[in-house]
Amino acid sequence: MSKTVIQVEDISKLYNLGTIGSGSLRRDMQLWWQKNVLGKEDLNQNIRNGRKVDTNEHIWALKNVSFELKEGEVLGIIGHNGAGKSTLLKILSRIIKPTEGLVRGSGRISSLLEVGTGFHSELTGRENIFISGHILGMKKAEILKKFDEIVDFSGVENFIDTPVKRYSSGMYVRLAFAVAAHLEPDILIVDEVLAVGDAEFQKKCLGKMNDASSQSGRTIIFVSHNLQAVSNLCSQALWMDRGNVRARGKSKAVLNEYLSALYKKSWVKEFSTLKEAPGNDRIRVLYVELLPHLEDPLSVIDIRTTLTVKFRFYNATDNIVLSTDLLLFTLAGECIFDIPSKPKLYSKGMIEGECTIPGNFLNNGSYMFTLHFSKDTSSELFSYQECLMFDIADYRENTNWYDKWWGYVRPDFPLVLKPLATVR
Amino acid sequence: MNNGSNGRRLKQWEWEIKPETSWWDIGILELYSYKDLMLQLARKDFLALYQQTLLGPFWALLQPLLTVLTYVLVFNKIIGIPTEGVPPLLFNMVGITLWTLFSEVFLQISKTFSQNAEIFSKVYFPRIIVALSTLWLQLLLFGIQLLLLLALYLFFIFNGDVDFNAGRMLLIFPIIAITAAIGFGGGLIFSVLTAKYRDLMTLIQLIIRLLMFVCPIFYSLAMVPESVRWLVNLNPLSSLFEYFRFAFLGIGSVNALHLLYSGSFMLLIVFLGILLFNKMSDKLMDVL
Repeated sequence: MSKTVIQVEDISKLYNLGTIGSGSLRRDMQLWWQKNVLGKEDLNQNIRNGRKVDTNEHIWALKNVSFELKEGEVLGIIGHNGAGKSTLLKILSRIIKPTEGLVRGSGRISSLLEVGTGFHSELTGRENIFISGHILGMKKAEILKKFDEIVDFSGVENFIDTPVKRYSSGMYVRLAFAVAAHLEPDILIVDEVLAVGDAEFQKKCLGKMNDASSQSGRTIIFVSHNLQAVSNLCSQALWMDRGNVRARGKSKAVLNEYLSALYKKSWVKEFSTLKEAPGNDRIRVLYVELLPHLEDPLSVIDIRTTLTVKFRFYNATDNIVLSTDLLLFTLAGECIFDIPSKPKLYSKGMIEGECTIPGNFLNNGSYMFTLHFSKDTSSELFSYQECLMFDIADYRENTNWYDKWWGYVRPDFPLVLKPLATVR
Repeated sequence: MNNGSNGRRLKQWEWEIKPETSWWDIGILELYSYKDLMLQLARKDFLALYQQTLLGPFWALLQPLLTVLTYVLVFNKIIGIPTEGVPPLLFNMVGITLWTLFSEVFLQISKTFSQNAEIFSKVYFPRIIVALSTLWLQLLLFGIQLLLLLALYLFFIFNGDVDFNAGRMLLIFPIIAITAAIGFGGGLIFSVLTAKYRDLMTLIQLIIRLLMFVCPIFYSLAMVPESVRWLVNLNPLSSLFEYFRFAFLGIGSVNALHLLYSGSFMLLIVFLGILLFNKMSDKLMDVL
């Protein structure tokens, strides 16, 4: 059994809100006076005694986080913004201290919370390689040994003696990451650095990280919103939710749990009375639901999943030629399709509708449905905008491409290659 | 748990991160392992200082030279402060060289947190490394200015205006060390304070400017009227200026007890500075 290299025990971090940053000397002296001279307990005293202080001046960025990591494991940390991921990384990197708890570990840690830490824009690429390398924890001999490799990886050989302020942002990032990629710590901590740079470079970086863990047996802790990258790189995953560990385990399982919890709640909208249902005096939408055809209820919608949309509405007008359009938008607001129903004559009453979108049709991404009701196919009765929101996760096999797949749709029409007989 | 497994448990881990840094938790070995970083940071600051400038490192010479000329003009030519038979240019140059060392070390080190917040929030290394690299750089710049002073000194020696005494000159080394150390210790304390209370940065500028007038830089201790001499004597920097001038020019009222006072003050402030800095540097990261 490989040995445990990091043990996190009940880490909590409390932040003061409001007064922080404005740093008032008077207030601090007042508190000090109360605490030490008058013997009154101030808020900080309460915290040290381990009691939770729930005033709006304080926030627990982390609460009782515990986990262990073994040598060679790659841990992906996922969660919403503000879930405490970065705070956790900062504690592990020794930048900030936990309010409570203990972290123990063995081996040299390097953290990569930002690309280009310590870069000085006035200095040349060459100088910056040394500065950044040293700041990230490399020794001079180590940098000298790897200098050529770093320059090679970055692809900025021709500009190595130019001040980095004249670099394009892409070159800057490449050089900065090249330095970081050649760190050889026992434990590497990486925060969302892959959000920068072009697709090709991102791929190179992910590849480099993959090598680091699989070949050198390095332990990596990796925070990312790129779930695809987490799923491909990490054996283990940790799901943070409002400062707590929500789930921890094999990355596939944790990712699935994360995604299904994330999107399930917006898959159905149901109203019991006409009054509260969205609509107007002509149309009331009582029910909309997205029914993904999933074999395992815990798994997520991915690009292979067939989706059915069901809806029910009340039509308040007699003898009306009515049609309904189901529109799909990306989160950015671009319309993917508009499927109309056949216009028909209806009388007053409830009407039900259903539409099925086959799997292997939409690309991965975030989408919204809109229901549009019209009279005589031309005049609008009601438009129920963004009634359903959902995400389609990626699914890939046999590829080393980690970046977002191109295009709005992703059909798997067969594309066949045939080797031709070579003409001699 | 028995003692045996407890021992093994301790051996298993190489490091720990705990909520509090103790006052005494200063890893000398850890600091030593960061010496490359210290030198590199000093190099970076030195290079950055003179990037895209007209005169580059010559500024380190030009600045004191211009200051001295102004002082000579104002204090000696216009106000007419006597210089005990020493050429005013040399008299002022000696004082200003030492003063520049103190004020620059103090000022630059007090900016440790406010100027490096960006790096500190992204990567860990012992924060005192930055202060040490600043000290190192300032000593280097002081070295350049000392060369200028020596050149001027040589000129006046050959001119026969001052006499040279090698034994006396040896005094400059402890004086330089004590001066730099007081600046270092004070700078550390103020770096913590200014990180927490930003407005103290302006106060530092003020302190430096006021302090300059109670240091015998363009006057000597002997010229100070008895009634206010206690004020200048109270200043732990005063004896350093007197001794520094004595080493070069053989003039001034030197007093070993006064120097002892300065030395003790140095030990105290360096000790307090390092303790405070070490204790607070992690906590400050929540405030920066």
